[in-house]
Amino acid sequence: MKNRKKIILAFIILIISFAGFYFYSQQKKILHLGIFAGSNWDVPQGETYAIIDEAIKDFLAENPGVQVKYVSGIKREDYSEWLAEKFIEGDEPDIFFLLSDDFNLYASMGALTDLTNLIEDDEEISEKNYYQAAFNFGKFEKKSFAMPFASTLTFMFVNKTLLSKEGIEIPKNNWTWKDFLEICRKVTKDTDGDGKLDQFGFYGYSWQQAAISNGVILFREDGKTSYFANSQMEETVKFLIELHDVHQGYEVTEKDFDIGHVAFRPFTFAEYQTYKPYPWRIKKYTAFEWDCVKMPAGPSGGNISELNTLLIAMSSRTKNKNLAWKFMKKFCCDKKIQRMLIKKSQALPVRRDVIISSEAQDIFSWAPEDKSAITPADISETMDNSIMPFKFRNYSTAMLFADAEILKIINGNVPLNNSLNKLN
Amino acid sequence: MSKSIKVTGMHTLLYVYNGFVIFILTAFMCMTQDKIVQSMVARSFLEDAISVPTSSATMFYTAIFLFGALIFISRLYRKNEHKYFKYVLLALEIIVCMFLLRNLNLSYDGLVLLVVADLMYRYHGHYQEITLLAAMILLYFIANYNMAIFQTKIISFSAYVSYYNVTTQAIILALRNTFYSINIVLFVFYLVMLIKNTHEEKERIRLLNEQLEEANQRLLAYAIESEQIAETRERNRLAREIHDTLGHALTGIIAGLDACIMTLDIAPEITKKQLNKIRDTAKKGIVDVRRSVKKLRPDDLEKLPFQEALRQMTKNYSESSGMEITFDIFSWSDNLRQDQEDVIYRVLQESLTNANRHGHATKVKITIGGDEKYLIIVIADNGEGCEDVKQGFGLRHMRERLELLHGTVHYWSDAGFIVEAMIPLNQGGKNNDKNFDS
Repeated sequence: MKNRKKIILAFIILIISFAGFYFYSQQKKILHLGIFAGSNWDVPQGETYAIIDEAIKDFLAENPGVQVKYVSGIKREDYSEWLAEKFIEGDEPDIFFLLSDDFNLYASMGALTDLTNLIEDDEEISEKNYYQAAFNFGKFEKKSFAMPFASTLTFMFVNKTLLSKEGIEIPKNNWTWKDFLEICRKVTKDTDGDGKLDQFGFYGYSWQQAAISNGVILFREDGKTSYFANSQMEETVKFLIELHDVHQGYEVTEKDFDIGHVAFRPFTFAEYQTYKPYPWRIKKYTAFEWDCVKMPAGPSGGNISELNTLLIAMSSRTKNKNLAWKFMKKFCCDKKIQRMLIKKSQALPVRRDVIISSEAQDIFSWAPEDKSAITPADISETMDNSIMPFKFRNYSTAMLFADAEILKIINGNVPLNNSLNKLN
Repeated sequence: MSKSIKVTGMHTLLYVYNGFVIFILTAFMCMTQDKIVQSMVARSFLEDAISVPTSSATMFYTAIFLFGALIFISRLYRKNEHKYFKYVLLALEIIVCMFLLRNLNLSYDGLVLLVVADLMYRYHGHYQEITLLAAMILLYFIANYNMAIFQTKIISFSAYVSYYNVTTQAIILALRNTFYSINIVLFVFYLVMLIKNTHEEKERIRLLNEQLEEANQRLLAYAIESEQIAETRERNRLAREIHDTLGHALTGIIAGLDACIMTLDIAPEITKKQLNKIRDTAKKGIVDVRRSVKKLRPDDLEKLPFQEALRQMTKNYSESSGMEITFDIFSWSDNLRQDQEDVIYRVLQESLTNANRHGHATKVKITIGGDEKYLIIVIADNGEGCEDVKQGFGLRHMRERLELLHGTVHYWSDAGFIVEAMIPLNQGGKNNDKNFDS
């Protein structure tokens, strides 16, 4: 009798759980998306959610019975905190944009789904379609924890008006430090004859940008070892001292640049995209014509710059892994959405085929008549050759320290001999 | 072994206290998490956390659920009598304990002591100390291993504490240490009580054993005494009986014979008469003796037909001893003499007693058979039997009694113990008075 009762009880429980499971599976599935308003690249952006909404629309059309929710209006500077709070509350979105400073934190604490197998098993996705630096940016300890969504590159901004006034041609995309130094020396002068320099070669060219284009790799990937003391770094510092000496101790300001008294300034693609077309072009840099070229190559490096990438990741606690993965692919893999990036945002797509197949005027849509110095192929090549920024845990602290030390060397406060070793 | 109310009470106190600590610690971590979110320092908290935090509600309810499960399993473990199931329960208890530790972010490992307390409560085997030591080392090893694998997956308690200012931090850490210390004190106290309880129990059993032994001794002395009293009384009765019957008759016969000797030559006729009288007296004496002997026989033999008496006797014995006794009679002699009946009765009685007392038998089979010349009685039991039979008082008596009737007895061990007695039957003669005394 007792056994029979138990069997009946077990049977009832089984039926209830099946019914519950059925009911649960019939429920409308809700995916949460974590995004921030505005641009990731410190430039003003108008239609914040245009691409997102398009992606959601397409995704919902393909997956009926699914709902997508996101919180709008979170500013980029608040986003990191917002995401952390959501994680603590156990209420984080299924997939979310991830700032580069946050990637290592979440990947190391196991908060992100390991996508390596998903990527391998998915026929629609191939690592080859992506720029190496962008794709690898989502890797942590050789496993993919995030997919790239959009990237931006650093280019050299050229003041065309100033150069033509001095009778200098716009440098080619394969120019070198030597060319850079030469032009800087030529343009740096006192134009109004008051005995003070008022025309300069460059503004905001950082030692990191120089080091990258000379092939210096500062740290091992895990950040435990640094390579400040090698010959490439020494070359870089020597070059920077020479470059610095051109200005004879004058500190060039942004104002000098804005009024058109500076020949070169490194600019990200996002900034380029923002300020070149209407309406922003009226607001800034109206006094002169400008264009951009690749960064100048160091003797041991190339025309290389840093590729900054916005990542999308999936929470390791998501209840709808497969659906979330499909949704994620909409952003990172769908050609239509990737193509939209070119028109609706200031960033570059991360798919190589999308960039190469686009027309120059698609990318540089602001002025069809305005012939740009670089082509989509140039951009693609630069992205292929670009390197990704370091993102280990104490990178910012380490960099802050290195910044101060190297500035001292360049300004001549500290002799070069051995000081790099010390820094190391 | 029973546990005193004190030990059980202490055990309950240990559980209540640990429940309280778990509640406080979990509530503290949940509150801190909520505060962190409210005061917008979530990002820097995650930097310290190293691992994905569980939401407050989940953490809290999981703690309550797991602790409830721990109490339930512990209770089952302590009550369960099954030999192997208790090990399953113990393993389950350890697993639940590990999950609870993990849920508490390993901030309180006093829980391990709780499992040890349960283990101690239950275990009292032969190699108690060694087993306990091994179990405790294993438990701590598991706990440490647990910590090693969970280390990267939990948020350290200090990450929570670091949210507060330095003064509060010191207070919180001091409180946590106090919680842990009090737990250890309670645990040690519990152990002392448990050991004391075990000791008291042993002492009590020892005392009871002593009392039992004493009572046994007294009973034995009393049995011997009462046997002697019965013997004396029986002797006196026999003496009285002999004096009254045989003595009286013999005295009369002697006096009569004396008179006959005197008168034999003078008056043979009178002497003849006198001798007749003497014969009557002797006859009367014999009747008296017979009556006396009858008085010595068992009641059943006296009141019932012999076969009925035997059945009655075995039935009574079966009822009083709990042995199952079967009785098969294949052939029977109706003209058994009283002395033969007596011997058969005694042989059966003695064999049944032996089967019960020495063989610890539960079944006895009695078979009576034979032919015109012999009656054979076989008593077989399913008891332990014995390899080398020592002839005790009972068996020797049996043999002696049978030999008086020219009978024999054999006994051996097979699947139990078997006694086979054989009595020659007196041919044709009915109640032969002449053989009565032989």
